[in-house]
Amino acid sequence: MVSVRGIYKRYKDLPVLLNLSFDIPKGSIFGYIGPNGSGKTTTIKIMTGLIRDFQGEVSIEGRSIRNWSSELSSTIGYLPQQTSLQEWRTVDQTLYTFGRLSGLQASEVDKRIKEVTEMLGIAEYRKRKVSKLSGGTLQKVGMAQAMLHRPKLMVLDEPVAGLDPESRVLFKNLFRQLSREGTTIFFSSHILSDIEDVADTIGILGQGRMRYMGSMEELRERVGRSTEVSLETVEPIPDDRLLESLPGVSKVERVADNRFHIILQENGQIDTVVDSAIRAVLAQGLHIRGIHPNRQSLESLYLSYTDGEGRP
Amino acid sequence: MSLALLLKDELNGFYRSKVMLALWVGLPAMAVLLYFLVDNIEGMSITFFTGIMVSSIGGLLTSVLIVVNILNEKEKKVYDLFLIRPIRRENLLLAKFGAVFLCVMVASFIAITLAAVLDSATEGYDVQEILSSMKDSLIITVSIMAINCSAGVLIGVFSPSVLVGVLLVLFGSNQLSSMVLLPMITGWGEMWMVGLASIGISALLLFVAALVFRHKEF
Repeated sequence: MVSVRGIYKRYKDLPVLLNLSFDIPKGSIFGYIGPNGSGKTTTIKIMTGLIRDFQGEVSIEGRSIRNWSSELSSTIGYLPQQTSLQEWRTVDQTLYTFGRLSGLQASEVDKRIKEVTEMLGIAEYRKRKVSKLSGGTLQKVGMAQAMLHRPKLMVLDEPVAGLDPESRVLFKNLFRQLSREGTTIFFSSHILSDIEDVADTIGILGQGRMRYMGSMEELRERVGRSTEVSLETVEPIPDDRLLESLPGVSKVERVADNRFHIILQENGQIDTVVDSAIRAVLAQGLHIRGIHPNRQSLESLYLSYTDGEGRP
Repeated sequence: MSLALLLKDELNGFYRSKVMLALWVGLPAMAVLLYFLVDNIEGMSITFFTGIMVSSIGGLLTSVLIVVNILNEKEKKVYDLFLIRPIRRENLLLAKFGAVFLCVMVASFIAITLAAVLDSATEGYDVQEILSSMKDSLIITVSIMAINCSAGVLIGVFSPSVLVGVLLVLFGSNQLSSMVLLPMITGWGEMWMVGLASIGISALLLFVAALVFRHKEF
């Protein structure tokens, strides 16, 4: 559905995207995540044709966005990070204009406005001026204009940011429903929890590059892996080398005289390390107060992808 | 289709805006005020003088209105949702120009007609003289308004901030629009030249604005 190949983009001397490449299959929900300033909005603006000065190639349904055409723009629905609408319009007037400009017939627009406003729970605001709407309702109007013309691809820039929990659930359910109907959804966020329960593919962007791309299941498998053991003894351990010399240990961090974090090597087996650590401590005549493996959280895994190294 | 729809939309927005409300009331009121306040204007009829005043003050306000409107919409990224749709980018500007120009011309026409009625009722001009005076007033008004509106559009597209935009209007578009009166003031030109010059200048300004806007990144 969407193919992004070797995108480079810089603003004056500041590089924003560096050789960014990814594919989005038709009908999938692609969660695009990265910290603030990592280049998410720039990617989105390139995909929607708002930024035209870039290196690389982006195609949607096999059509290059370099040759921007009516057919191409009709296939895209776009929700910007902040929904900005002309404030003198009512919700109805706003949606009517966008619907007509997107190619809907006059007779069809009213029907569609009714459908999407009911779907988003904003039917009661249809006659209200945009300037009188709350932030959340405005976001829903933004979502309504994005889906009004039944686009094949919806590009949504932080669509659930600033929404209350109820509206977040509404949006996420809507994404699932649209995906089932064959719409491809590309949405960004800087909060992992926003995408983890709805995206079937995620891309983690860090410092202008795609640091991870794959399914949520694959990422969750990585999360479940234990990479660290916490050890607490009754008496202080005088020398770290006692633990560092154990097989499968990468390094040891001393938290206190009697508390340690034992970091495993990449291929280190958690059970082996725990067993040998217990044996080594007891052999020194010391007593163990507690020992347990630490599991890496989804959040810490995400942070490890978006740091300078970009590796977990 | 998109231009007609956008023009209708912009008209809908502008004719009810606060600035336009001020012009709807202000310009005709200006005609009445001038009638009572001005005694002798070097042989000019009140109709003609009203035309000059209306176009000068109305033109300035109009270009400021357009500049502020475009810059605010640019800053708030209002255009993003239009530009991703299958429309010609320049239609956004043409619609804005058309809507403001039409609104302000209707307000000016009301003011000039009111002045002509006052002229005819009190000064004893015959119909022919009144119509001739109205025609000249309208040509001047249309010319100055067209230049002010198109300059407002261009400055709105170019300008980085509202302050810079307003300053450019004050020291740029207002002077430029006054220049078209030179042939008439110096006496070496005809009124139709004023109209022709203003059409040319406005078209050029709009063309440059459209060209820049078409390639602008948002």
